[in-house]
Amino acid sequence: MADALVLEGVTKRYGQFTAVDDFSLRLPAGEVLGFLGPNGAGKTTTLRMVMSIIYPDAGRIRVLDHPNAAEVKDRIGYLPEERGLYRKMTVADTLHYFGQLKGLHGRALRARIDESLERVGLQDWRRKRVEALSKGMSQKLQFICAVLHRPELVILDEPFSGLDPLNAGLLERLVIELRDQGATVVFSTHQMNQAERLCDRIVLINRGRRVIEGRVNEVRARFADRIVVIDGDGDLAPLARVPGVIAAQITSGHARLELADGTPPNTVLETALRHARLARFEVQRPGLQEIFVKLVGGDGAPAEAVVSGEAAHE
Amino acid sequence: MNKVFAVALREFLATVRTKAFVLSVVLLPGIMFGGLMGMEKAQQFARNERIPLRVLAVVDETGALRADLEAQVARANAERPNQPFGLEWLRPGPADVAALAARVRSGELYGYILVAREAVEGAGGFTLGRKDNQLQAGRVIEEMVREAIYAVRCRAAGLDPARVAELRSRPVPVIELDGSTGGPVTSHAVARALTPFIFMFVLFMGTFGIAQGLLTTVIEEKSSRIVEVLLSAVSPTQLMAGKILGMTAVGFLLVGVWGVVGHAGARAYQVTDMVTGYRLGLAFAYFVPGFLLMAALLAAIGSACNELKDAQGMVTPLSLITLIPMIFWFYLAEHPASLLSVALSFVPPITPFVMVLRVCGDPDTPTWQIVSTLALLWVSVLVAMWAAGKVFRVGVLMYGKPPSLVELARWVRYT
Repeated sequence: MADALVLEGVTKRYGQFTAVDDFSLRLPAGEVLGFLGPNGAGKTTTLRMVMSIIYPDAGRIRVLDHPNAAEVKDRIGYLPEERGLYRKMTVADTLHYFGQLKGLHGRALRARIDESLERVGLQDWRRKRVEALSKGMSQKLQFICAVLHRPELVILDEPFSGLDPLNAGLLERLVIELRDQGATVVFSTHQMNQAERLCDRIVLINRGRRVIEGRVNEVRARFADRIVVIDGDGDLAPLARVPGVIAAQITSGHARLELADGTPPNTVLETALRHARLARFEVQRPGLQEIFVKLVGGDGAPAEAVVSGEAAHE
Repeated sequence: MNKVFAVALREFLATVRTKAFVLSVVLLPGIMFGGLMGMEKAQQFARNERIPLRVLAVVDETGALRADLEAQVARANAERPNQPFGLEWLRPGPADVAALAARVRSGELYGYILVAREAVEGAGGFTLGRKDNQLQAGRVIEEMVREAIYAVRCRAAGLDPARVAELRSRPVPVIELDGSTGGPVTSHAVARALTPFIFMFVLFMGTFGIAQGLLTTVIEEKSSRIVEVLLSAVSPTQLMAGKILGMTAVGFLLVGVWGVVGHAGARAYQVTDMVTGYRLGLAFAYFVPGFLLMAALLAAIGSACNELKDAQGMVTPLSLITLIPMIFWFYLAEHPASLLSVALSFVPPITPFVMVLRVCGDPDTPTWQIVSTLALLWVSVLVAMWAAGKVFRVGVLMYGKPPSLVELARWVRYT
């Protein structure tokens, strides 16, 4: 299938500050892409460039095979991070207005509004003003505003932030429905477990640069075979000195080792067998969370911003 | 284009449905009529107001005024029994003004009159000092003293003062016609004098009041973060065009309602010769570009600011310029062909107001001036729209410190 989104060497500077630096990405149509990165990494700037709300200083963007998203606005659904609604408008009027702006009208629009309100359980609120809605409800309303016109490409900037688990779950199901209907979905998030559940692919961005990109399985596989966990009686301390071990957490009877790329876990196992009676030897596949912390936290970026409370450790 | 209309329609409905709008539609004509009626009522009230006896000390160097001045005071007191004057005669001679002033300060005297010796011949007059600056009292006192002096002069010339006064009091009625049509004109002097002002004021409220709404909604959309959602569906240019179109419709509605009310009011006050179809049409012709110019400027300012407070600083120079016709309205209406009036007609943001005043003052305002001011206005509308579009595109997504005017100019040049 054709690519829904292509970015090649995209760069955006604000004065001295480079917000996005030589960023490239290729997203096949019909897939769900998780756009990961710490705060201030350049996610929102990139998504705004994709939407042609701002323009890159260098590089090339193609959206649904067009050089400018403005030409295909009606085929894209966008939920910005900075999102608001007209507080004095009713729920139904809001949907009607944004539907019109996306090229819908008449009976089709009205039917779509009824359907969407029902899907997110807001049908009883249609005549209420937006200011009467709770935060979660307005976020759901914003979401259905963005996808009311059944876009081919859906771009969601932090769609889950601030939602309770129930509503977050509903939104996750809606994202899956969109993909099942054939839409391409891009969403940015801090929550790795969510990305792991929902995404076909991920791209991790830090300080404006692409850190890693690929299918979720591939990314995890690339970091597989590199974490070894050992439980056993005996002296585990020598394990830290095995060539190829780059990090080790060793307590009495337990060791968690990180291996350099290309180090076979067997070398560790051999040493362990010599020094201890083993109860457990496990080669772990890291979660995205660990990969994230490792890639982003390692380069001096504020790691605590990354491992925020909402992203529970797996 | 449909999107522009969708934006315009929302803007129109959102504005028209507010209480503020409904109030302003009803309130302004209400205040205007109330003001006219109130002026007459206030005059009546003023006549009936009760003021305690006001004593005037008189130093009469001529020594001939006493009987006549007392007669004048009696006549004035009979006319306004609630606001009587009294006289205290002092010995003629050099007056001790300081002592008199002290007595005025203490409240014992309302004022003092020093009549010069030469007043009867006409080589000198009289000096008047009093506690306040009330216009009515000043007029009455001056008239009393003057009439008394006339009476003395009449007798000196061998005439009967009562006879002369009677001759002068017979009315000489004037019937005014509209010079250019020969038709009748209104007799209501206040309404007549105020009509040009009302014309201008309606135009001013319609333009500045409504265009200011545009500023508010742009800032609101920015601060409530709706802008980015909107921009995923429409371009900044479409958004600005839609908003201006919607607000223009609001302006039309407002000025239309006021126009109809004003026309009815003109009939009620018999000033139809002042409120002609030609003038209404011309006012409308100036309203459209005048409004669009203001709308473009305010939309651009709104897009560059995040808070109304920031915007106010940038709007101030604009409001100061628009105050000029407000301050000079009487001069502009009375001297429509003067150099200042013609020059101010060519200052684009205030052209509509100045021209409406001038056309009300002088139906024969040269056609070339009407055509050229309208042309200049439309050219400035185009320039303003072009520049505003650029500022809007950059500004509408800018958060943080509002830009200076220099930075705004840079946006226009580089985008």
